[in-house]
Amino acid sequence: MTPFSKDSDGNLVVGFTPVEVDIIADLAAQIAGMLGDLAGTRDADPLFDSVGIGGSVTIDDDPAIARLLPDAYGGDREASSDFRQLTERSLARRKVANAGIVIASLARAEGTVVLGEQEAQAWLRTLSDIRLTIAARLGIETDGDDGDTGTDAAAALHDLYDWLAFVTESLLDALED
Amino acid sequence: MAKTLENTRLHEQTLLDSPWITLVWNDPVNLMSYVSYVFRSYFGFSREEADRLMLQVHNDGRAVVATGSREEMERHVEAMHDFGLWATLQKADA
Repeated sequence: MTPFSKDSDGNLVVGFTPVEVDIIADLAAQIAGMLGDLAGTRDADPLFDSVGIGGSVTIDDDPAIARLLPDAYGGDREASSDFRQLTERSLARRKVANAGIVIASLARAEGTVVLGEQEAQAWLRTLSDIRLTIAARLGIETDGDDGDTGTDAAAALHDLYDWLAFVTESLLDALED
Repeated sequence: MAKTLENTRLHEQTLLDSPWITLVWNDPVNLMSYVSYVFRSYFGFSREEADRLMLQVHNDGRAVVATGSREEMERHVEAMHDFGLWATLQKADA
């Protein structure tokens, strides 16, 4: 990876190897896939669907989905449920759309990825969603907690998690340039 | 007379409705630089204020980042979830 920089037009420019491109596109696709049902048209009411409401009644059992779509009200299950039913679908849709923007920007790239401001915002959010999902899978729950480190697969996920932090940091640096 | 009474009621109503807060909670995943960036870019805080709140989240486990009407706080919480930050709203005195 060649770190992000800002060009004279304000675009964010980064160089990834083909393997890195595949990894990020695959992870973004996994986020979109994981949230697909919640972003989709699970209930058939076309009016509800057109305005993006019709979310779940309770927080998801999957800890990664629960972290990406958390309860909104501290200590008030009923208010959280009401709010979730109104907003969960559109929030999930925006996350899926952000992942799609990441995938599309990688697909048109040939070594060098050039992002406009809006695309950079989608990248920031998707990188966060990916890292939150990896952390949930590794069981990282508190500061300084490494979660699962016992297997080769876990070690590989840790490397990925740290590398994506580097990518995020690099994008933030360039955005504030 | 009636007009004054209405205004008083309206004023009381606003006072009763207003005290809601948005809390951002610490998580072990999001980078400190990212949290500070979100506070600056979304709420328009100065770097100093954004860093102060980010450190409060990091050190104390949470920080109040906004106060206002319930609807406003709902919007903020949803925007924070958009960024992947863990945020909730509640009554200020809860």
